[in-house]
Amino acid sequence: MNIIETENLSKQYRQGDLSLNALSNINIKIPEHAFAALLGPSGSGKSTLLNIFGLIDQPTQGKLIFCGQDISHATEKELTTIRRHQLGFIFQGFNLVPVMTVFDNVEYPLTLLGLDKKARDEKVNAMLDRVGISRFKNHLPDQISGGQKQRVAIARALITQPKLVIADEPTANLDTQTATGIIELMYQMHQEFGTSFIIATHDERMSSHCHTSYQLHDGVLQ
Amino acid sequence: MKWLKLAIKNLFRNRRRAFVTVLITAVGVSAILIGGGFANFTYLSLKEMAARASGHLIVAHQDYFDKEEESPMEFGLEEYQTLTKTLKADPDVRYAIARIDFDGLISNGEKSTIFMGAGVDAKYEFKIKGPFLDVESGNVLSKREREDDPKIMLGVDLAKSLNAKVNDSLTLMSTTVDGGLNAMDVTVQGIFSTGMPEVDKRSIIVNINTAQSLLVTDKVSSIALHLRETEATFKKYDQLTAQYPELAWETWFDQAFLYKAVKNLYNRIFGLLGFIIVMMVFFSIYNTVNMSVVERTREIGTLRAIGTYTHEITRNFVLEGVVIGVVGATIGITFAALASLGLSLAEFQMPPPPGQTNGYPLFIAIPVNLYLIAAAISLFICTLAAWLSSSKAAKKPIVGALSHV
Ligand SMILES: Nc1ncnc2c1ncn2[C@@H]1O[C@H](COP(=O)(O)OP(=O)(O)O)[C@@H](O)[C@H]1O
Ligand SMILES: [Mg+2]
Repeated sequence: MNIIETENLSKQYRQGDLSLNALSNINIKIPEHAFAALLGPSGSGKSTLLNIFGLIDQPTQGKLIFCGQDISHATEKELTTIRRHQLGFIFQGFNLVPVMTVFDNVEYPLTLLGLDKKARDEKVNAMLDRVGISRFKNHLPDQISGGQKQRVAIARALITQPKLVIADEPTANLDTQTATGIIELMYQMHQEFGTSFIIATHDERMSSHCHTSYQLHDGVLQ
Repeated sequence: MKWLKLAIKNLFRNRRRAFVTVLITAVGVSAILIGGGFANFTYLSLKEMAARASGHLIVAHQDYFDKEEESPMEFGLEEYQTLTKTLKADPDVRYAIARIDFDGLISNGEKSTIFMGAGVDAKYEFKIKGPFLDVESGNVLSKREREDDPKIMLGVDLAKSLNAKVNDSLTLMSTTVDGGLNAMDVTVQGIFSTGMPEVDKRSIIVNINTAQSLLVTDKVSSIALHLRETEATFKKYDQLTAQYPELAWETWFDQAFLYKAVKNLYNRIFGLLGFIIVMMVFFSIYNTVNMSVVERTREIGTLRAIGTYTHEITRNFVLEGVVIGVVGATIGITFAALASLGLSLAEFQMPPPPGQTNGYPLFIAIPVNLYLIAAAISLFICTLAAWLSSSKAAKKPIVGALSHV
C-alpha cells in the first residue's frame, strides 16, 4: 500500500487578480516505509506539498489519498484524528512548547491519545533515552541547544509510532555537524520503527540517506 | 490536573499581565460585594423600620384601604377589643395594637394648623418604635393618664411652627363621627422626630382614648399585628385573609413607600455599578486571553498540527480564564468580607438616605447568597471571555498559524 498518493493535485494562491500555481498537477505515489527526500530550490512548493501530505492544508484541485483513504471530504475533526494517530511533524524551527519541559513536550501526544500516566512515563523515558536527551528531560526548551531541541522534536513526532513523519527542512537551522546527527537519527528511527519519512530539504547530503527523492521545480514534479 | 498545571504555567509566562487581570477581577468582585452588602443592609433596616412603623400586618374594616370615609371612623372597627385579644392569642403574633388615624386642626390660641394624628396604645407603641422614634424633648406618652388631663406628642417641626414646648397647653379640633365639631385641650408631653420632615411637620400622637373622646367614638381605625418574625409576614397574611374574609388586610410591604423607593433607587445604582464592573472584568480578561492567544499563534498551529482538537485548544485557554477567575474571586471575596467587617466595626456615620434627615452608622452585611452569586458570575465571565477570545483562534488555518511570527 502507498502511504501517500495524489491524483492531479494542484494548489493555487490567489492574491487579488494574480493567481500563483504553487503546485501543478502533482501525481505521486509514496510507498510505505519510505525514507523520501523532497528536493527543490526555495519557493518551489516543498512546504506547500508537505502541508497537504500532513493534512494541515488542502489542495485546490485534485485528490489526496492517505493510507488508501481518500480524505478530500474529511472534516477538520476527522483530519485532526488522523494526524493525532498516524502523523508526526518535525519543523524547521523545532516548535516545542516553551512552558513544557522536554519530558512534557514528548509526553504531550500520548496525553492526547489518553494513555495513563504509567504507560506514558515508560514510553517517554524510553524514547528520550533512544534519542539521547534523557539528562535534559526536566529542562525547558530554552535551556538546550538547537540540535537537542530537534532531538526532542523527533522524539515527540515518533512517540505515538505514527505511519508517517513530515519533516520540513529539519536541519536548516542547524550547523553542518549537528545536522548530520539529526539526519542520522531520523534514518535510524525509520529503520527501527519502520516509520515513513518525507523530508523537504535542499541539503544535498540528505539525499545520500534517502531511497527515493522527488524533485520539485516551480510547483512541478520533475 | 495536567491541563490545569499547564494553564497556570502559561499564565506565568506573562506574570505582570496575569497579575493585573487577577487584580482587576478581585477589585471588581470586592466592589460588587461591598456595594451589595451596603445595599443589603440598607434594605434590611428600611424593612425593619417600615415593619415597625406600620406593623407586619394591618387589619381594618373591609373598605378602609380602598374607599374615602365620608365622616370620621365611618370604616372603623367595632368591638376591636375582642378582635385584638383573639389575634394576640396567636403564638406567631407578638403584639396586636389598635390605632386611630385622624386629622383636624391644632391651635396654640394664636395660630392654628392642620395635623395628622395617631391615637396609639401607649403600652406597646413606643416599645416597638424603639430607635425609629427619636424623642427630642419631654417623654413618650404614659400608659395610664388622667382622663381630665390628656397628653400629646408633637412632631418637631409642628412644635416649632406652633412655638410649643413641653408642658404647654394646646387645643385639638376635629369633626366627630356624627359630623359635629369637637375641641379638646391637651398638654405637650414630648416632642419627637421621625427623621422625615414631611411627617414631623404634621404629626401628633395621643393615647387612643384621647382620640376616641375627641371623635366621640368607640371604634378604632385599624389593628397592627407585629409578628415575631418579619419573614413570616406573607404566610400569615394568607392565613389571616382566609380566616377573616370580612376584614381588609395589608402587609407592611403595601405601606412601605420609602423602602420600595430606596430599594428601587439602590437596585438601579448598584445594578448599573455591577454591570459596569462586570463589563470591565469581562474586557480585561478577554484582552488578556486575546493577547496570549495572539502571542501563541504559532504554538496553537503546532499543537493543532500534531493532533490537538480545536476544542482542546480552547479548553486550555478557558482554564487560564478559570484560574484568573477563581484566584481573583477568592481574593475579592476575602477582601470584601474583611473590609465589610472592618467598616462595620469602625461605625462610620453615613449621610441620611433620600427623604430623611438623620444619618446612621454604616454597616455592611455579608450576604452569603450575594457572595455565592458573585463568585459564580465572575467564574462565568472569565470562562466566557476566555472562550470567546480563544475559540476563533483555535479554528484558524493551521498553515497560517505556523508561519505566524
Ligand atoms: N500563504 C501563501 N500565500 C501566497 N503565496 C504563497 C503562500 N505560501 C506559499 N506561497 C508561494 O507558493 C510558492 C511555494 O512556496 P513554498 O511551498 O513555501 O516553497 P518552499 O517550501 O519550496 O520554499 C512560493 O512562490 C510562495 O511564495
Ligand atoms: Mg519551505
